[in-house]
Amino acid sequence: MYILKNAYLSIIRNKGRNILIGIIILVIACASSVTIAIKNSANSLIQSYEQQYEIKGTLQINRDSLINNFDPNSQDKTESKKEMIEQFNNIENLTIEDIEDYGNSEYVKNYYYTNSIGLNSSNIETATSTQPENSNQQPNNIKKPDNNFEQNQVNSTDFTLTGYSSYEAMEDFINGSYTITDGEVSNDFKSNNCVINSELATLNNLKVGDTITLINPNDETKTYDLTISGIFTENENSSDNRMDMFSKSANTIITNTNFVNTITAEDSTLINNLNPTFIIKDKDSIEKFETELKSKGLSEYLTLSTNLEQVESATDSISNVATFATTFLIITLVIGSIVLFILNMINVRERKYEIGVLRTIGMKKSTLTLQFITELLIVTIIFLIIGTGIGALISVPTANMLLENEINSSQEAIQNVNENFGGNMMPGNNKGRFEKNEIINGIANVEQIDSINAIVDFKVLFELLGIGIALTLISSLASMISIQRFSPLTILKERS
Amino acid sequence: MSILKLENVCYRYSDADKDDYVLKDISYEFDLNKMYAIKGKSGSGKTTLLSLISGLEKCEEGNIYFENKNLKNMDLDKYRNTNIGIVFQSFNLLPHLTAIENIILSMDIGKIKETDKRKKAIELLKNVGLNEEKGNRRVLKLSGGEQQRVAIARSLSYNPKLILADEPTGNLDKDTENDILDIFRRLSHEDKKCIIIVTHSDNVANNVDIVFDLKRFNNKI
Repeated sequence: MYILKNAYLSIIRNKGRNILIGIIILVIACASSVTIAIKNSANSLIQSYEQQYEIKGTLQINRDSLINNFDPNSQDKTESKKEMIEQFNNIENLTIEDIEDYGNSEYVKNYYYTNSIGLNSSNIETATSTQPENSNQQPNNIKKPDNNFEQNQVNSTDFTLTGYSSYEAMEDFINGSYTITDGEVSNDFKSNNCVINSELATLNNLKVGDTITLINPNDETKTYDLTISGIFTENENSSDNRMDMFSKSANTIITNTNFVNTITAEDSTLINNLNPTFIIKDKDSIEKFETELKSKGLSEYLTLSTNLEQVESATDSISNVATFATTFLIITLVIGSIVLFILNMINVRERKYEIGVLRTIGMKKSTLTLQFITELLIVTIIFLIIGTGIGALISVPTANMLLENEINSSQEAIQNVNENFGGNMMPGNNKGRFEKNEIINGIANVEQIDSINAIVDFKVLFELLGIGIALTLISSLASMISIQRFSPLTILKERS
Repeated sequence: MSILKLENVCYRYSDADKDDYVLKDISYEFDLNKMYAIKGKSGSGKTTLLSLISGLEKCEEGNIYFENKNLKNMDLDKYRNTNIGIVFQSFNLLPHLTAIENIILSMDIGKIKETDKRKKAIELLKNVGLNEEKGNRRVLKLSGGEQQRVAIARSLSYNPKLILADEPTGNLDKDTENDILDIFRRLSHEDKKCIIIVTHSDNVANNVDIVFDLKRFNNKI
């Protein structure tokens, strides 16, 4: 107890020096708070980017594997090429069961898919620049061993009916390529609702609530009725061919996979194009998932393709900010420790006589060291608290400044996505398909930091306390060494 | 009754030659209830001997026994804050503290269980002729004689049986010297303590019970 009393008296006695030490600690605490805030913000950004750039895996043709079968030195190159094409055509089509089987993996967080088929119609005209007599194509949709569905489909049928398994799968709406101008995308993924392009709607004088009838190209007796729940426009910049009269999606009718699956289940001869997307848990799971896919029977000519490179490049720059913050923190602490160490060394030299007297009247070295540490610890804690408080106040705007762009783009993106899907999305009304905290493909989810607690939580406080204790101990090394080294008799003789 | 026993005590400085002893084979016994003066020329090793007895220096050869316990086997910090009181020529008080605070600090270090340490400190100061008002002053605001009284009072704070004093009157005038000697004499004869004083002063030597002439006992070549 008397150590505390002595420490207190010494602090009061050496006000000037202790204020100087305090100011240094205050600066260190401020800098540490801000640096930790920057580090936390950077980590928050990394997290948001990781959400934005979830590791997505899609299945695609393994071209390398196919081309390996072509022998350029072969005498009959035509034959070799034919063999290669045959192999390509023999690749088994994916089935919904396959996708469900692949998606049901411990390495996959979520999965979704689209299912597209080509259909004709009896009551609506296609949006095409060719003359009507030329567009009267014969249903020629017998299943062919060709996976190049899109091209063949456009050539052979009037409309492409694309079913989506969930909102997440509707990337064209999420990334803004398509925007609902009237009605909405139905949230009932089992209904017979659809959304159509505004150009198709104009050509056929269709509006929300009308019903369109599609015909099976292989069997004209089979018809399918769909009610229009929304009309969308395609962003001008998203079309691949800007010289076309109509946008690429003009003849695309969007519905749910449930509806499309029912059609394909009824007629197995219809060509369908299944495009699954797997949200992979993390980077380490990619290889394991790929191995699992092979073991589950994925064709050797299909391969898992991911956006890992994009994800990693997106977080690289932010990781650098976090690393810079850590480096800055270390430099601050090292310089701070050195300055404190020197100040303490001067302090000990000035108080040599006191050390000598106390040792002479029987104070133990350990007790004396403890007193010096206590003095510094009291000063450190007081100024650390003040410094952390100031640092925390500075940290909030600093962190928000760093996050500003991300916060704005995140909020705008969520607003836009909800608007793209149509419905009751009114300005200022946050109630859309996606809530504020919901993770949406391709959309970051960064929130404004509006309180100090968001930056300086208990973890940060403990970190700062740790820093304070470490600083105290490091700078007290001067007194510890001196007290061990000093001979009380020599000190007193020098004094005399 | 012997409280302190020196047995073939030898000492040389760490940087000295092998045979260059300051103290060589000193043997002697000090008793309670007596006042001693260690006399000798400058450089004869008086202060060194006092440092060895107080445990501030370690005895290289030979042994020192306090109440039949070898200092080599004792916790010297505890020995200094419990068993012996030390008084220096330059007082060695803490200048930022008052006289009373200096005494209380000494009691704290010696872990003295005293309910009212302040009261005890005032009492000790009164024993050496200082009042409470003086006790509340910073020691630098006291005269040399008063500071030495404070130093004596501090050395008595844990009631030691042995008091070591290194030239305690070296900085004081004759009257004050006599006052200090009176205090020591009273401590030795009335309180039954052993007082060992290192001194040059003939006046001090004439006022003690036994003069320990270092020259006689030091067998250095």
